[in-house]
Amino acid sequence: MPKTLVSAVRQVACRAPEAIALEWRAVRWTYRDLMDATDRVSGVLTAAGLEPCGRVALLLRNSPQYVAAYYGVMAAGAVAVPLNAQERAPVLARQIEHSGASVLIGDPAHPEWASLRGAVAERVAVVELTLCEDAGALDRLAADLAAARLAVAADVAPPAPADLAAIIYTSGTTGRPKGVMLSAENLLANAEAIASYLRLTPDDRGLCVLPFHFSYGNSVLNSHLLAGARLVLDDNLAYPHLTLRRIGEAGITGFAGVPSTFALLLGRCNLQEFDLRSLRYLTQAGGAMPLALIERLRSELPWAELFVMYGQTEATARITYLPPERLPDKAGSVGLPVPGVEIQIRSATGPVAAGEVGEVHVRGPNVMLGYWRDPEATAAALRDGWLATGDLGRLDDEGFLYLEGRLVDMIKVGAYRVSPLEVEEALATLPGVQEVAVVGIADPLLGQAVKAVIVPRPDAALDVRQVKAHCRAQLASYKVPKEVELVSELPRTASGKVQRFQLA
Amino acid sequence: MQQVCERIRDYILENYLFTNDTSALGLDDSLLEQGIVDSTGMLEIILFLEEELGVKVQDDEMIPENLDSVNRLARFVASRLKAA
Repeated sequence: MPKTLVSAVRQVACRAPEAIALEWRAVRWTYRDLMDATDRVSGVLTAAGLEPCGRVALLLRNSPQYVAAYYGVMAAGAVAVPLNAQERAPVLARQIEHSGASVLIGDPAHPEWASLRGAVAERVAVVELTLCEDAGALDRLAADLAAARLAVAADVAPPAPADLAAIIYTSGTTGRPKGVMLSAENLLANAEAIASYLRLTPDDRGLCVLPFHFSYGNSVLNSHLLAGARLVLDDNLAYPHLTLRRIGEAGITGFAGVPSTFALLLGRCNLQEFDLRSLRYLTQAGGAMPLALIERLRSELPWAELFVMYGQTEATARITYLPPERLPDKAGSVGLPVPGVEIQIRSATGPVAAGEVGEVHVRGPNVMLGYWRDPEATAAALRDGWLATGDLGRLDDEGFLYLEGRLVDMIKVGAYRVSPLEVEEALATLPGVQEVAVVGIADPLLGQAVKAVIVPRPDAALDVRQVKAHCRAQLASYKVPKEVELVSELPRTASGKVQRFQLA
Repeated sequence: MQQVCERIRDYILENYLFTNDTSALGLDDSLLEQGIVDSTGMLEIILFLEEELGVKVQDDEMIPENLDSVNRLARFVASRLKAA
């Protein structure tokens, strides 16, 4: 059997079965507990008739149960489809349908659960997994899965690649679901590379506030378990004060964040009032962090190494990292490729010289298998073994990468990519909207926010609140326009193309 | 207290649920668990308490017991206004 992420974690569990793997609320799971739960989910899925490469959608917040379900699905030779818990039922239902999942495992406390269940229950076996601290939740899941008939979805897609392990839905350039296919090798190789440059050991204790459906959160999970470290779970930063206190109380050595994570922590709290001496390192990815914020972090926590990093879901998670000791002389760079990965900057005619700007291309064991059921998008992204990232960048003469924007029109809200087209398509279904254009505007905390500019139908009585409420019913809250402007016409070029730059 | 409670409820309805239908938000609904606000929304609510209701929120007061529902927010604000 080839080595996989789950088999590698199993080896860790064999070496130190009593070490704590996961800590969540009052629950502590040892590596033995984690593997037992993983095997239980895997065994019951197989017994219930899940075919190899069958898809299992997961709608669960960060919790030990999520990890058991996620690893259990992969251990069964099936494909995990972790869904974004911030999305609304219509989007989640479309993704489940597109994935051809035969099972949905979800938390009944999710605010969209009832609507989602209603929307997919005819085609998919829906099984609830209550995220609670009592150990009975997995017993109930096992019983419910055993009772479920895991029918193969009627519209099963073309055969899945043999080592397909996960499909992660990401914002595409259109509103259509775009599922990044990751192989077992992708997950293992990227987690190994990250554990290596962060020098993770069994003595490390990471705190993860990033959701696991998000490739960055997923990489934090996998790299820590691969290293035999302990991971303390949360999934938000609504109470920064409590997060900081927890770092001291739990002896956290590593903390991963996106720019808004650090902005929230530094914005409201005086770090000097907390005991943060246990922190060995911080990692930052998910978009460029302002240099002033980087400087503040370094001066407030001088003992903690800060790793500035770059990646995308299509590359499993991580593409580059900036060695912390180079932060002073390479300010603004996202660093060097992670072990095993190569970068090339290309123009339309081929590779460009050092210093010249072009599209960032990536090659290595982290590059996805393609987009699920989307050969056209796959062919556009994967060319002769290289992943075209859609990001513009340049390499300096030492090979350090500097990002220079994106080729494709995307709004970056916090660490999330938002496709203007997806929001426009949602708005186009609102009666009274004649035309709409969506653009990104500057936001002090999140970098960018969404703005919608709408031309109402002449006889329509649209108001801003109604527009936002319509979006909220269909889209994750970070995609809902923060600003809505009603206008009589959109600015256009002579050829009729909307001039988006005039709308921001 | 009643008035404070209504102002907080109306602020959340208007800015996060985009409606004036008061039945859309239970006074004890968890703002976070129900997906009504996220981390940045919570920060905006704190700014609303400070700027519109005149209550300075200390670091150690930013806890779910004070902030995670309309009733909790209203009780917290009322206790701070009373103490002032």
